[in-house]
Order: sequence, then C-alpha cells, then structure tokens
Amino acid sequence: MKNLRIEQAAPVSAGVNGSGHRQRNLVNRQLHDPTPALLARALKESAGLLRAPQRLLPLAQRLTSDFLREIFERPHLYSYTTTKRSSTEILDLVLGWIYNAQRLDGGIAGYYSLLTGYSDSYPEVTGYIIPTLYDYAKTADDDRAVHAAERATQWLLSLQTPEGAFPGGLHGSHMHASVFNTGQILQGLVRACRETKTPDVLDSAIAAGDWLIRMQQSDGSWSGPGAYQDAAHTYYSMVAWALAELSELADHRNPCESYGAAAERNIDWVLRHFHPSGWIGGINLRGHPNYLHFIAYVLQGVLECGILRRRSDAIDAVKKSAWVLLRKFEASKFLAGAFEGDFKTKHHFTCLTGNAQMSCVWQRLYEVSGDLRFFNAALKMNEMLKELLPMGGGKGIAGGVSGSHPIWCRYQPLRYISWGCKFFADALLLEQRITQSLQIPRNKTLPCAS
Amino acid sequence: MRIVILAPSVYSETACATAANLAQSGYVPSGAIALRSLDSRTLRRKLGQWGARRFFSYATTKLLPRKNEDAQTHTVNRYLTSFLNYGSKAFRSLREVGMYYGFPVAVCRDQNESPSIAFMRERSPDLIIFTGGDILRQPVLTVPRLGVLNIHLGFLPEVRGMSAPEWSLLTNVPLGITIHYMNAGIDSGPVLGKFELPGAARDCDSLTDLRNRLIAFGVEKTAEVVAALDRSLISANPQSRLDQDNQFFVMHEVLQRRAAACFVQNRKLAIPEAARG
Repeated sequence: MKNLRIEQAAPVSAGVNGSGHRQRNLVNRQLHDPTPALLARALKESAGLLRAPQRLLPLAQRLTSDFLREIFERPHLYSYTTTKRSSTEILDLVLGWIYNAQRLDGGIAGYYSLLTGYSDSYPEVTGYIIPTLYDYAKTADDDRAVHAAERATQWLLSLQTPEGAFPGGLHGSHMHASVFNTGQILQGLVRACRETKTPDVLDSAIAAGDWLIRMQQSDGSWSGPGAYQDAAHTYYSMVAWALAELSELADHRNPCESYGAAAERNIDWVLRHFHPSGWIGGINLRGHPNYLHFIAYVLQGVLECGILRRRSDAIDAVKKSAWVLLRKFEASKFLAGAFEGDFKTKHHFTCLTGNAQMSCVWQRLYEVSGDLRFFNAALKMNEMLKELLPMGGGKGIAGGVSGSHPIWCRYQPLRYISWGCKFFADALLLEQRITQSLQIPRNKTLPCAS
Repeated sequence: MRIVILAPSVYSETACATAANLAQSGYVPSGAIALRSLDSRTLRRKLGQWGARRFFSYATTKLLPRKNEDAQTHTVNRYLTSFLNYGSKAFRSLREVGMYYGFPVAVCRDQNESPSIAFMRERSPDLIIFTGGDILRQPVLTVPRLGVLNIHLGFLPEVRGMSAPEWSLLTNVPLGITIHYMNAGIDSGPVLGKFELPGAARDCDSLTDLRNRLIAFGVEKTAEVVAALDRSLISANPQSRLDQDNQFFVMHEVLQRRAAACFVQNRKLAIPEAARG
C-alpha cells in the first residue's frame, strides 16, 4: 500500500495531450493558455520518432489511410447495415491488443502512441478492464484472459493507500488519490471478488468504497480534493455505478452508510443536470470540450446504476438522451466527437471510444426496454468501429482503437487507447449476448432493405 | 385531376408502374420528373444498399439491348409485370411510359431545385405522387393543390421511417401500406388510406419478395385512392400519436435475419402445409 496525497487528478482520457496528473498550478496555467504545453508535448512526442524511426512507416500508413477515407468515403443511410468483418474475429483481435498492452508489472498501458510507443501502466483502465477480461474468458473459454485479469488485480492491490484510495493518471507520473479512478478501479475489484472470492480483494473493494463515501459531498456529488479540477462532474456517475455494484456484494459490511444509498445520492444529483432536450450539463471539464466519451460515461453510469437500484427515473432519463444521439447517428452515420449544449456541435471528428460506449448504452437499453431500434443502432455502430480497426501493423496497432477518427484529430491524437479497446470489446460482447438471445440464424445472407 | 410523378430515376420500376397504372385508370399524368440516373450520389447509395452484384445485374437489365419484349424477363419486381406490359411489349423506363401516354418526362439533379419546381408549377398539378428521390422541402410540398402523395410500405403511425415491412414483422404490426400526404416531417402527414396486405398475397419466399409484393400492392391502391380523391369520396386524417417517436431506421442484416425468421414462422402458422404445396 502506498501513501498518496489527495489532489485533483486529471484523467488521462480527458487530456488533449494525455499526460495525466499535473500539479495544480501547472493545470491552471494550462487552462489559461494551453498552447505552450501542447507545443512542448508535441515536440516531446515527435522526438519519439527519432528514437524509434521504424514507427514512421505505420504512422504514414495510418495517416494516408485516414486521409483517403476522409476524401472518398461519405457515409449514407445504408452504411454499416451489412457485416463485412466477423464480430468474433474482431473481438479476438481487440483482446489481443489488450494482452499485448499488459506491462510486466501487470498493469495495462494507457495507450500505444504512433510516435512514442506504449505508455506506462494506467491504473484506472487496469481496474475497469477486469470485467471485460472475465466476460471474454467466459465467452471465448480463454484462460489467458483470466490470467491477465488476475495479474491486473494483484498489481492494483499494491497501489491502494491505507485509506482505500487509488492514484490518478499513469503509473509513476504522480501519486495523488483520485475519486474517479478509485471508482473505476472499484468496478474491477468487485468483479474480481465475484470471480475469485478472494478475501483480500473484497477488503480492498470495501476500503475503496468506504473512502469514496467519506469523500462524497452532502449533495451526492464529489468535488474538492480528489475530484478533477476540484469541481463536481456528472460523469462521476461511473463512481456511483461502482458503488451500486459493491452494494450488491457487501452492503452488509457497511451498515451505517450503505454503498447503494451513496450511489443513489449521486444519481439524484446527476439527474438534476439532465435537460428536457436530453442534454446533460455538469460535465464541467474546464479547458476541454464535452467529448462524447464523457457524455457516454454519464449515460453508462446512470443507466447501470438505475438498473442495479431499480430506478426507472434514471433509466428513462438515459433513454431520452441516448435516443437523441441515436437519431443523430442514424441520420448521418456519424456521431461528432464532442458537443456543446443541447447536442449542438461544430466538431467534424469522431471519438471512437465514445462511439463504443454509446453502442454499449444502446444495447443495454435494448435489454432493459426491448426496443430493437437501440440494438439496431448498436449493430451499425459496431460495424463502423470494425471497419476502422487496423487488422495488421504489429503490436500496439493491430486490433487497436484509436482515440479519434481521423487519427490526427483532437481526442488522443495518433494513439491507440486501452480504454477504447475495453469499451469496444464490451460492445462486441454485448452484441454476441443479444444475438444469441434473439436466436438469429447465422450465415444466411440477405439483401439489404431498400 | 392533374398529376405529376416524382421518380428516383427514369428506370424506376415503381414510378413506371405507377404512371402506367394511373394512365390505364384514366388519370394520365401531366408530367414526370426523375433524378439523374448517373448521379454519383445515387450510384454510391445504390452500391452500398444493394452490393456490387445486384447493382450490376440491375444496370445490365435496364441498359443492355433487350433480347425480347417480355416484361417478365427484365423486370426486377415480378409483381409489377402486369402494370408494365403494354400490348406485346413492356415499359423499361419512364420515358417510354411518357412517350406512349403522351406526357413529358424531365430529368433533374435535385427535386427541390428551382428548375424542378418550375417544371412542376407549369403543370399546375392537383396532386404530386412521390415514388422516391430526395427529401422534399417546403417549396415542393406547396406546389400541388391537394398535396404530395407518398406510399409508405407499413402502417402509420405505428411504423414510420425506413425498413417498414421488416420492422412491422419484428414489432407485430400488420403488414400493409399507408397512402398519405407528405409534410415536413418523416412519414408524419395526414393519412388517406391504410390497406392491409391480403393473407393470400403473403405467400412470399423472402423479405425481398414481400417488399416487392407490397410495392405492387401500393401501386394498385394508389390508383384507387386517386380515383376516390377525384370523386371527393375520401379525405385525409391527421395522424395520431405523433408525439411518440415511432420512427424506425434502416435495419441491419442481423435483425433482417430475425425478421425473416419471424416471417417464415408467421407464414407457416397462417398457411396450412397442404395449401403451400
């Protein structure tokens, strides 16, 4: 266990440059004028090419491929309605990327940069990728996934503070306790505990849950120390989801303050930020646009918490927002990578992680509501993501989900990111589960509807 | 009754059959306007929608010199054959229908652009019948005295939007068509008639076959609706439940397989083994 200071933790997934945790003054300076920091980062990353010039070829290949796709491929109403790549093969490929991203310490790298290669292990993703690994192990009967999940769990246990918190950012970059990352890691611990029934893991999950409750504000939000930029964010509904999961497992261990009640307090606070138009306020990331990734986080957290706590108000609110995004995707076969208020956007790139998350949200909404339109949209979203996945290119590239499409755009430029792979794998696993439950005949080709 | 036909292409079988059937019912169109067949946007869309094999098969059927005059051999939708035959020949394009019945056929790049609207206005139509093409904007919708008719291959307001027959199967809505006036929304205009596909007509061997059957059913019913409108026997009723979002989108092939399985199951239940032969 390590001693960490509680301070604002910049999620790697939020950062344009993805460097993770920063000292408060540095963050504030960047917020006022991010250009020098971005330039410095760009120079540092470009220098990676000097150290490993063999990366130049894959970089050029991907840039050319995205450039050509931008010029020639204009999606239309019938795009992505047919399966060109098998979901099972793609799922194996994505999991292959995740296995390759597991570092010697057991943590999963945050990303593979086309300029600098693999990053250090990223505790947050290492935590919430554990359920994906166990789900895949069951579907594909693959012991490698179980082994990877167990190594990840052991590494995470070594990072926890005596108070129960986990650090934000990439491993070694800073050692500050982070509410969000603790919540995300808690997801993995709860699942690992269910699978292995190990007392150490249960104790660790409970310590994390207790710390999260201690850090929660009276209104249900998390702000101040431990929260990114010291502010409350609606996407911390993911933390509420983790607490709701923990409550299923161990509410009897905390009779004073149930984890489920804490989760619902946060969801009540988040639901107050849902607008009649379906837009969600309070994402509150100063210096960053409202990336789809974070919007989808809010929806995933509220939905899963709503399902676990049997809160129809939460499910209905998510359904409304998810439907707005579904209509946008169905109309143009594209979801912008970031939005302003009321889902208006000026952005022309797409955030692939956010897309994969929306696929998960739509599929879960189908499972809850039985409305096949959600599953239909998710199938098309999965087709789109499958088409954008590199099938070759070696470790770090084959099976990797890039931050943005085109890859040079604003969200995690020139990187294949581990949390993108996690959510895409989740989306494909859900697709398999639903397809099997619908008993859809396989390999019978049909012409597309006109 | 002055009628203008809007077509997605001069080779559209639905447009040809609609125009020919109306003419045979005594309502010769005043004109027709079709989108350019060699428009890159349309070609890309059709390639994506049909795939290369079906696309080229369709192109050769329509464009290569005909070996004989029988509609059966070069009609993709076999249920439209009876509408397309004239004498011993068969119509292959809207131009041929226009020449035979004596109405002009114009080709445009966009059905909403000024020259298209001018062409329609010159004919001062009572009715425009939409058989496919662009999403129509307000200036086009206000040209005809009565309105723009659309034949929707599903029941409204239950199943609005795309892949209506397939969604009807998956959502247990009866198979049929709705003839309605178009407005600024998607399939949300006032309804002139809803017609359920007769049970006997459901013995189709695939979803494509079912869709073709519904298209032919729509062509047949359009002439009846036009005649009824001409005699002021029917009026349009605004759709109910417009506040509910009943819009559906193009169905992915995985769900199409599910819809096909539903269709086969329903057919087995509806038609006794002996009757199916």
